[in-house]
Amino acid sequence: MHIIALWIGWLLAWALGIAALLALYRPSTTLARPGGIAIIAGCGWFVGQFFVTLWMRLLAIAHVPFGTVSIGAPLVALSAIAAWIAWRRHGHASLRHVGPALRARPNADVANEHRVLWFALLGWLALRFGLLLIEVLRRPLYPWDAWTQWATKARVWYDLRTIVPFGGESAWLAAPVGSLYYDAAPNYPGTVPLTQVWSATLLGRWDDALINLPWWLTAVAFGFALYGFLRQARMGALAALLGTWLALSLPILDAHVALAGYADLAMSTYLTLTALSSLRFVRTRDWADLVLALVLAAACVVIKNPGKVWLLVLIPGILVAWLPRYGLRIAAACFAVASIGALVLTRIGLTLLGYHLQLDFDMPWNGLSEAYFTFANWHLLFYGALAVALLGWRHLLSRELAPLTIIVAAGAAFLLFGFAFTNARVWVEDQSTVNRATLHLAPLIVVWMLMTFREWSLAQSAPIAVVGGATTP
Amino acid sequence: MAELDTRAGASLTSPQNDTPSDSHDAAPPSSAATASGPRRDVLRAALIFLAVLLACALGYLAVVVPGAWFPRATPQTLPVKNLTLARGVGRVIGNELVVSAPDANDITLVTATTNLRSSDYPGIAWSVANLREDADVRLLWRSDFQPDKLNSVPIRVEAGHTLPTIVAKNPAWIGQITGVALAIHGPLAQPILIGGGVAKPMGAIETIADRWHEWFAFEPWNGASINTITGGADNQQLPLPAVLAVLVGASALAAFAIRRRRSAAFTIAMPTLLAGFFVAGWLALDARWTWNLLRQENATAAQYGGKDSRDKHLASEDAPLFAFVQKALTVMPSTPVRIFVAADADYFRGRAAYHLYPHSVYFNARDNALPPASSFHAGDWLLVFQRHGIQFDRTQGKLRWDGNQTVNAELKLLEPGAALFVIR
Repeated sequence: MHIIALWIGWLLAWALGIAALLALYRPSTTLARPGGIAIIAGCGWFVGQFFVTLWMRLLAIAHVPFGTVSIGAPLVALSAIAAWIAWRRHGHASLRHVGPALRARPNADVANEHRVLWFALLGWLALRFGLLLIEVLRRPLYPWDAWTQWATKARVWYDLRTIVPFGGESAWLAAPVGSLYYDAAPNYPGTVPLTQVWSATLLGRWDDALINLPWWLTAVAFGFALYGFLRQARMGALAALLGTWLALSLPILDAHVALAGYADLAMSTYLTLTALSSLRFVRTRDWADLVLALVLAAACVVIKNPGKVWLLVLIPGILVAWLPRYGLRIAAACFAVASIGALVLTRIGLTLLGYHLQLDFDMPWNGLSEAYFTFANWHLLFYGALAVALLGWRHLLSRELAPLTIIVAAGAAFLLFGFAFTNARVWVEDQSTVNRATLHLAPLIVVWMLMTFREWSLAQSAPIAVVGGATTP
Repeated sequence: MAELDTRAGASLTSPQNDTPSDSHDAAPPSSAATASGPRRDVLRAALIFLAVLLACALGYLAVVVPGAWFPRATPQTLPVKNLTLARGVGRVIGNELVVSAPDANDITLVTATTNLRSSDYPGIAWSVANLREDADVRLLWRSDFQPDKLNSVPIRVEAGHTLPTIVAKNPAWIGQITGVALAIHGPLAQPILIGGGVAKPMGAIETIADRWHEWFAFEPWNGASINTITGGADNQQLPLPAVLAVLVGASALAAFAIRRRRSAAFTIAMPTLLAGFFVAGWLALDARWTWNLLRQENATAAQYGGKDSRDKHLASEDAPLFAFVQKALTVMPSTPVRIFVAADADYFRGRAAYHLYPHSVYFNARDNALPPASSFHAGDWLLVFQRHGIQFDRTQGKLRWDGNQTVNAELKLLEPGAALFVIR
């Protein structure tokens, strides 16, 4: 029974997110387009999950103890309200668009091979997620930081039914009993632990396997959202699903689902969707897209401390999309300013977000090549990205591609700067951080790789598609 | 990736689902001929891939096989039971010789008596783990040709493991090899695990089998899995992603060359072919990864299947600690108290703290030092688990640790290697 409550509680959060987005979006601009339903379904999870943690923060501020009712009842009420608003605003229009989209099947004009491939790929993904689900539900909290700095907070907050502060060693030693707690990273944000608190609250006990269900749901929802964004970027159904598979089959990403407990999966998925929804907003100028992008961006800030920097990394790319005429010059200026700023900061020897900056270039090439090209973390992602960059170099700064190219370039520059000019280089050589940090950017690299390849292939004389693709919702 | 873009060459979205901006999708597929064309293309692309695979495999074998491609000799194992720890301290645990320390001269020496025809066995592979990256490891041997001469060559170490050593071209690898040994100079960072050795004929089949075994060796979850996925055996001479990248690249080049010579060789465009090779390579890696996940499911089921949360902990790596903490929790007050954790291992400090929450726990994540005695207040607790240097004088009720730090304390729970105190 408890596990059913766990599923219901989280599906309720998901439903709230979907209902909120349905209320927000006009069906004619989103649902009617290929991938629209997938975007609403996928992003709905991220909005709903984030809302749960925000609500729990509010409860803690109001001194209302965490409980199934205090957290769950508002979810039910708000879901109903959002669904009602959605229905009132455009109920019939929604049905007109959603119904056909949901009923859509591969049509007669489409080649069988593509339909078969599409379903085979879906089956392959289903197998992957089946295996991951079993692992998530069976394995108690396993990876190191999960039980030294993330679930530590969740454990305390669940038992005390509220949020109590965590502080540094000297503060803890001086504080009265119970007023301040201590763990290996007391300054880390509480969003991810709060999801575990909601899981434990639904279960009615601390079960350090089942509390990790949100990690699996995050990956599933990310699949929906990514597929939807790729479809709306005018990818065919098969290509969009291929792109989704490329992202979701990355072994290091799967490891972060199976060995749940770190915040990197959430950081990666929220960041990717922030970037994609921001770029979509620039394209559509639909305020609903802006709201979605802002909500997702706000979540990035409170998931992991580097989330703030990652958001800064998105800005040049968004500017390029927003101001295509001047954007590249502005982006170049941003890079120049960032370079000068980095130079100054490294000379000062500042410690930022726990990273000590030092003006001593020492790129850990060996560790990087092992991480990206030798070990199995990324399948062929970095080989593919390099090849695509070489093939499509003429198109990298085209109007269509420039925003994503700039985002990926800025992200790569941020990572490489961290590896070369901070104490993080040690964690590259010992492979302890390099892949986790890169995971934040990896899905965007997948999207950029696909888009660049498409631009290059379109520029070839022959069209790349001879037969049609499957049509799916 | 045959239909990457709805703008290109196909009806990829249904007309009713397309917005006007998508409506410039190209015309629908033309004829039955185009339907059979791609099938033929797929077959040809597969043949190219296989041909490239064969050529690469032959090229690789030509480079790495030191002697005959199809030798008559079979591999000779040197099992742990036949090994002698001539210098150093260690013992056999299971199928491994665990060496915990070198001798007084910082030398570890493991020997085995053999009777190998040198020409049949150009390589020796030791299975050794937990070595330092800069460890000085050597292969020693004696032959009947010069029985009094002790020969040696260095053994390469990668990722803490020894690599196979090819001795075929060493002039001292001659006659009958009467004994081999593994020598490690210098201190050991941690106990090393020796799983025996193999005298290898190093033929083509064996070489391919070795690579296959490295790629498809089960890689269970371990403490590093959240940071990096090796992709098979810890120590690989030829990483599979690199191999597949070469195959994909070479196949694409071959297809490009064929297409330039005979433009009608393929009906599908070059980008589609390239994407096809790339996806095939990715799929191969993903199939290996999925297979590994399946095996992991079996392992996880064996360890945790059918168990409740408590029993899962008792089946985990820190079961003795968990059991002790559970007992400690019955002794401690139910309301949160301040408790310090002391253990030599980072792992046990962190795990103990995790099990002790929601008590207000202090543990040092990176250092086994305890705070000074002045930090302890009456009513605080101290949990000790496998921590050297802590002494308790029961008669005086005094607890003392590093640097003569002393507090008054009462012993509340005691087990071998573990204790719980309340500060008075």
